[in-house]
Amino acid sequence: MKDVLRILLAPLLWLASFSATYGLHGIGCALGWPEIALWGASVFRVALLTAWLVAILIQVAILIVLHSDRFRAASAFTQWASLATAWVGLVAVLWTVYPVAVITACGGNG
Amino acid sequence: MTALRRHRKLSAIWSSEPGFRGWFSSVNHSDLGRMFLVTAFFFFLVGGVLAMLIRAQLATPHSAFADAGAFAQFFTMHGTIMMFLFAIPTFEGLAIYLLPKMLGTRDLAFPRLTAYGYWCYAFGGSMLLVALVFGIAPDGGWFMYPPLTGPLHSPGINTDFWLIGITFVEISAICAAVELCVSILKYRAPGMSLDKMPIFAWYALVTALMILTGFPPLILGSVLLELERAFGLPFFQADLGGDSLLWQHLFWLFGHPEVYIIFLPAAGVISTIIPVMARTTLLGYGWIVASAVALAFLSFGLWVHHMFTTGIPLMGLAFFSAASTLVAVPTGVQVFAWIGTLWKGRPEMHLPMLHIFGFFFTFVIGGLTGVMVAVVPFDWQAHDTAFITAHLHYVLFGGFVFPILAGIYYWLPLVSGRKRFFRLGEVAFALIFLGFHGTFLAMHWVGLMGQRRRIETYDAETGWGAINLISSISSFIMAIGLAMVLIDVLIHAFVAVRGGRNPWKAGTLEWASMSPPPAYNFASLPHVTSRDAFHGDPGLANRLAKGEGYLGDPQSARRETLTVDIATGDPDFMVIYPGNTRLPILMAAVTGLFFLSILIKLYWLTPLALAGVAALALVWVWRLGARTDAGPQDAGRGVTLALAGETEKSPGWWGSVFLLVANATFFGSLLFGYAFLWTVAPGWPPQDWLAPSLVELGIGGAAALTSALAMRLAIRGNRHRARPLPGLAFALTATLVTAVTFAMLLSRVPPPDGHAYAATLFVLGSYALCHALIAGLMLAFAIARARRGYTSPARQAEFHIVSLWTDYLAVIATLSLLAAHLPGFLA
Repeated sequence: MKDVLRILLAPLLWLASFSATYGLHGIGCALGWPEIALWGASVFRVALLTAWLVAILIQVAILIVLHSDRFRAASAFTQWASLATAWVGLVAVLWTVYPVAVITACGGNG
Repeated sequence: MTALRRHRKLSAIWSSEPGFRGWFSSVNHSDLGRMFLVTAFFFFLVGGVLAMLIRAQLATPHSAFADAGAFAQFFTMHGTIMMFLFAIPTFEGLAIYLLPKMLGTRDLAFPRLTAYGYWCYAFGGSMLLVALVFGIAPDGGWFMYPPLTGPLHSPGINTDFWLIGITFVEISAICAAVELCVSILKYRAPGMSLDKMPIFAWYALVTALMILTGFPPLILGSVLLELERAFGLPFFQADLGGDSLLWQHLFWLFGHPEVYIIFLPAAGVISTIIPVMARTTLLGYGWIVASAVALAFLSFGLWVHHMFTTGIPLMGLAFFSAASTLVAVPTGVQVFAWIGTLWKGRPEMHLPMLHIFGFFFTFVIGGLTGVMVAVVPFDWQAHDTAFITAHLHYVLFGGFVFPILAGIYYWLPLVSGRKRFFRLGEVAFALIFLGFHGTFLAMHWVGLMGQRRRIETYDAETGWGAINLISSISSFIMAIGLAMVLIDVLIHAFVAVRGGRNPWKAGTLEWASMSPPPAYNFASLPHVTSRDAFHGDPGLANRLAKGEGYLGDPQSARRETLTVDIATGDPDFMVIYPGNTRLPILMAAVTGLFFLSILIKLYWLTPLALAGVAALALVWVWRLGARTDAGPQDAGRGVTLALAGETEKSPGWWGSVFLLVANATFFGSLLFGYAFLWTVAPGWPPQDWLAPSLVELGIGGAAALTSALAMRLAIRGNRHRARPLPGLAFALTATLVTAVTFAMLLSRVPPPDGHAYAATLFVLGSYALCHALIAGLMLAFAIARARRGYTSPARQAEFHIVSLWTDYLAVIATLSLLAAHLPGFLA
């Protein structure tokens, strides 16, 4: 089961961080965080950028861990597949959460 | 023992009852897989007829063919049947029929569960058909958005049929998903490590995991909407703290992964057929596995792209727009791997390949229009137009129906043992292909001209008439093609001449069994050394028939197989299956009574039906096990194995793990709903919070945790001194205290029909109470088993299963209590 988990781990954590960031965005909008200034930006922007950074670091950490001798899978196939999905996790975090850096905070589409 | 004698002996052990009685008592995966497929294609015909009615109505402006009410039932039932009663069950049927053969084993992990799932599907689907026949079918669209489907705007029974019937059918999907996960991971031929699994098994595993995590949000949504309709709990009513958008989130948390749940098995069929037809091996096996996993996960990050026009903030839209474009990458990797496989091989243009090319052409167009609608500004223009209907049909027909038709023609010689005689299939393919594109290319066009989806008529001045007429005529051409496939298959099944084994010269193990396969699949189980086990070893089939593999010496009347280590494929335990029984159909019927009692509001029957299900479940598990230790068993080829019941992690333990994954997703979705309403819905905070109680919080949490710890004590007591009873009794007491705590909490919740907050707490408390009762029942059962001598330090498997459920109770009870009490403390 550990081998299956190795393959699933990175995308699972991407899904968790993606959902958490979306949830944090909802909470921030509901509590008016965009109106509260912090370090030249808003609490909203700082919180979401921090969440993005943490999500990226988690994915990088998974990649490093999977490369390490201690956590390397015994089977070459599992090792290859888990590294491939770890890269998927990292790219997915970079691509799908980047809107926190560039898009209007809580503006509607109306 | 000669091969013929072995065959007769195994057939006597494994065969279902002869004649139609066998339908009701069979637990054999081949029988049930065929029953799933035949039933699913029956529903496909019904859904197809409804599609013809829709196209007949839209063929001309101001058609008097059907009124708006009937038309609403047509399109709702068409979508519902195709998604829930055709596509998913077809995958289940295909996987149930094929996987044990492909994996080189004799049956799936839980044969009675397969049968129970089938009957839940058959009864639930019948419920919807009855509604259709009597003109009271669901009419709110296949995604059933409230407030349209709420009690105010849809007061009739139509919507209830959908909510209750589909939930009933989803039990079948969850059963199949648990079954497939355990079977693929544990029930394989020895030597079949993960990298030697047939590619279809990888796709089926990923799909099953997606069903376990994708379906619970919809089940939750259906429960909440039915509670609102039946008892006035206002989860989706904005004036009472609810929000109709919650339904959309829950529905599409299921609905978008559903698209990939439908596509991935079809991709598994394609990945299996293409290398065989191209006389080569699959290019990029590892890339394809990684892409399937990536696709599965990314598909769970797309649900809001169905909600781009609901007023969600721009940043939220951007998250899901980005994820929607990213999902094209792993899809593209698979498509290029298939093209590469064709490139490196020598493709032969047999009938399955025609449908594969139909898939390529159609699905790629559907994928590209998918990228178009992933772009938010375009989606704002195209949303709810016929363009979207056309896009989804390109994806689903292209991505599922064409590959499944390819699969039917590919595996038909295996199922029937015959070879094709007439050449109707090629003509049928041409009609289907031309008819499909005529229907839906035109629909893209008329959608871009502004035709809304689900309208029952339109004015002649719109200029849509000619396009709709082309679309309707084409759809009838497609229908004729599909009818010809049916005729072709029937002729093949009943009239065609006998064929030989493995006509395609494929390498996967299903072709190493007889055609049609016997009830036991393999007279002895192979030892696998390569991915295409049968390809490099043509003598394998004969050696297996001669009993030269594992378990080649049938013991008395035992249905035997073995399990393997998940990663390496080394044999680890022996399994003895239960025999034929009518228990699954009986339990499905009583489960149906439960759903029926809610549907027709016969609430006195509901607890009786629940008690009936619990009683039958106890009978179900009581029949397993033994009163003496069996010790190591001879599995052949010099290998001895313990029985699965004499291990910590038995098949039942694995099944519980995967069932709890689905259960945890349900619970997580409930917590998500709570948080969503709190932060987004109007009318929050509520006037009254639940009065917080440290005593209730402390006692309830401590009791649930004690139950889990006491269960561990029971396991330790059993292992060291064969004395599990003190720990079990302690755990049972703690579980009952947990149940009482939640009963008290429910008695203190503000009236649940007054505000969505109280309604949510009511559901949360009921969920925890229900799990405390389930854990209590399991503990009482374990005590009874221990007292009757069914357990010993070796026969320990049941305790570990109960322990999983008490652990789960500890987690959800603690979280539920915190969710109930914390707001009051903070306020």
